[in-house]
Amino acid sequence: MAERGGGDRGGFGRGFGRGRGDRGRGDRGRGRGRGGRRGGRRDEEEKWVPVTKLGRLVKEGKITSLEQIYLHSLPVKEHQIIDTLLGGRLKDEVMKIMPVQKQTRAGQRTRFKAFVVVGDTDGHVGLGVKCAKEVATAIRGAIILAKLSVIPVRRGYWGNKIGKPHTVPCKITGKCGSVTVRMVPAPRGAGIVAARVPKKVLQFAGIEDVFTSSRGSTKTLGNFVKATFECLMKTYGFLTPDFWTETRFNKSPFQEYTDLLSKPTKAILIENTES
Amino acid sequence: MATRVLSQKEQDIQMMLAAAVHLGARNCDFQMERYVYKRRNDGVHIINLGKTWEKLQLAARVIVAIENPQDIIVQSARPYGQRAVLKFAQYTGAHPIAGRHTPGTFTNQLQTSFSEPRLLILTDPRTDHQPIKESALGNIPTISFCDTDSPMRYVDIGIPANNKGKHSIGCLFWLLARMVLQMRGTIPLGRKWEVMVDLFFYRDPEEAKEQAEEEAPVAPDFGAVPDYGAMVPTDQWTTEQWMPDAAAVPAAVPPVAGVEWTAGQAPVVAADGWDAAAAPLPPPPPPVDGVAAPAGGSSGWEAATSAPSPSWE
Repeated sequence: MAERGGGDRGGFGRGFGRGRGDRGRGDRGRGRGRGGRRGGRRDEEEKWVPVTKLGRLVKEGKITSLEQIYLHSLPVKEHQIIDTLLGGRLKDEVMKIMPVQKQTRAGQRTRFKAFVVVGDTDGHVGLGVKCAKEVATAIRGAIILAKLSVIPVRRGYWGNKIGKPHTVPCKITGKCGSVTVRMVPAPRGAGIVAARVPKKVLQFAGIEDVFTSSRGSTKTLGNFVKATFECLMKTYGFLTPDFWTETRFNKSPFQEYTDLLSKPTKAILIENTES
Repeated sequence: MATRVLSQKEQDIQMMLAAAVHLGARNCDFQMERYVYKRRNDGVHIINLGKTWEKLQLAARVIVAIENPQDIIVQSARPYGQRAVLKFAQYTGAHPIAGRHTPGTFTNQLQTSFSEPRLLILTDPRTDHQPIKESALGNIPTISFCDTDSPMRYVDIGIPANNKGKHSIGCLFWLLARMVLQMRGTIPLGRKWEVMVDLFFYRDPEEAKEQAEEEAPVAPDFGAVPDYGAMVPTDQWTTEQWMPDAAAVPAAVPPVAGVEWTAGQAPVVAADGWDAAAAPLPPPPPPVDGVAAPAGGSSGWEAATSAPSPSWE
């Protein structure tokens, strides 16, 4: 440590100053929300050539809801799949831009880590974390990763089963690092009783009322947000008596649409002509 | 010894005994214990072949249930299984991968060799552990030939068998292929399959060379070169250029067959790569050996060979 300090004293000093400056930028980034990319780039988005089988099925319109994908635990590798299925309902929010640094011979190498939460406020949330050299790239990448990680959230009732489910089905807890987040069902009208960070995530999930309790170093936003996300993941993992009936298995979409999938796509034809 | 006519199942089991399919390893994985009949005095576990046959039937049923056979991937990293895998794929319509499994073939959608199979068939869970790991991530059911000491993690259907010997592997793939074709109805039940088991056995390059020697009398035309380091006539250089071009090789078989059996250090990968190329053509035995031979011979220039051949996988 002493040697390093001696070797690039100039860099150290510079880094320190830069660190302070970056933190300022980070605060501004949080408030920026969806900023960064304006219009343009429409062509790329429209011409989606699916690479995976699932992508092809979604593009053809054979798969109409995310629930079909969840039912068969199919890995989602293309974010356009989520775009097509959840489309305009999906909102995103940048939770934090965190500058992280790596020490090199010539000073510090700063990169920006973006935490983005994505969700339609009706049972689907996604969390994306991406580190990149530029803020905008990080945000863009994080949004894509968030879309890929979209998860269904199970909601239930606190008491009487009147109206739509509004709270968590049972007491659940999620842990990431040292942070544990515990969610407890709350009666209607209680609202989301949580810190600023998990409140955002829960709003995106579509949970209206919940009591939360957290433990650990919640200052580390990364872990805090991942813990609440994990907690929400567990809502559908909890076996309640309504799941006691035996499952009736459906055919996997890959089996159902095997004829459609076996047809060669245009990409393959282009490859053939090139070679 | 049964003097009456043996049933299909009994004949198969006799063949498996001859191929030493029943000889397991000296260690036994706890999940394989149910398939072991007994442990011999010298430590070798004996596998219950009746159970092997049943598992083969089960695997065949699963294979037949896949509507599009191209969605099945048969794989072997080990040389002993590569020829069997290629022949199996040829007869059942599956997709073979012989040799190294590039990590990410089932998970990395940006790779050119990305594929999403519906079923995976392997020769050894230990050497083919990478495809097993990836299939676990991609919801791909896995069938594998498991020895008594093979790890069964993520293997959905394990067929207890000896996966170390070349006769054993060949025999098993032959049986599996025949079962699949019988269940599909391509071959009538009960009758013998005209394809020989030997076609599925691994051949050493020297063996392949000898085979070609017997079959190709065209040798004298090119002034056969007996040494590796000897001067090379121009024809051999052109075949080297032709190596990357698979389509050309079958056409070039007759002139090439004579020359190329001199340098016999073919990586078997190359030999079977040519078999795969020849697969679309109807495969009567002599041309198959002829095709295998040139690949075997021309790899005296190993650098040239090892470069193009892996890319065929």
